[in-house]
Amino acid sequence: MEAAAITHGHAADHEHHGPPPANRSSRVEPQLLGMLLFIISEVMVFGAFFTAYFFIRVVNGDQWFPVDGHSLPVAVAFVNTCILVSSSFTLHWAEHGVKTNNRFALKAGILSTFLLGLTFLFVQINEYVHIGFAPHDFAQASVFYGLTGLHGAHVAVGLTLLLMVVVRTWRGHYSPEEHRGVEVPGIYWHFVDVMWIVVFLSVYVL
Amino acid sequence: MRNPLRSEDAMFRFLLWTLAVAVAIVAVVELIRALS
Repeated sequence: MEAAAITHGHAADHEHHGPPPANRSSRVEPQLLGMLLFIISEVMVFGAFFTAYFFIRVVNGDQWFPVDGHSLPVAVAFVNTCILVSSSFTLHWAEHGVKTNNRFALKAGILSTFLLGLTFLFVQINEYVHIGFAPHDFAQASVFYGLTGLHGAHVAVGLTLLLMVVVRTWRGHYSPEEHRGVEVPGIYWHFVDVMWIVVFLSVYVL
Repeated sequence: MRNPLRSEDAMFRFLLWTLAVAVAIVAVVELIRALS
């Protein structure tokens, strides 16, 4: 009896390798929880930049654009907003595709999301080139470049994540049962879109 | 409101909600500007 227990114990030792599984105090999956906490920290970063914006417009009551004869290209930014928002729709299509095992929807959706995001970034850089003022020219310019640049950096990070998803999709990864690799970058990409709507509204429209 | 970050689907719906709120804010502000 004792010998059998010892043998069983040894067998159990051989089955398990590495450290014991980490304690999970949350009902949320670790990968989702990581992205959730990251996005909460990102909201705080954007909040700091918006504080500078509200100091200029509300506390100081300074004139927002046009400033010193410089105005913002609202029409271009609106088209760019449409491009970015449509990329969220294509991403949602891709996610729906992977859940329903529709490989065409996954491939077309994720590739078009990446290309639309790339277009957004290209248009924004082009806007910087032609806008006619620098961040150090006046306070409004600093806030404009700060907010749109911070968002642009997030788009660049999102594009890196999406590129990984594109490559993995073409290598045949993801299935209706296992598609967390699409879902988590998807949450981030939608967050980047939500932040852009807030930035566009504050900087260009209101 | 439930956590919108729990899934891609929930976050997408949150994006649509944000878009609707943004359109409503612009409409109200433009209305006030037109009246004043």
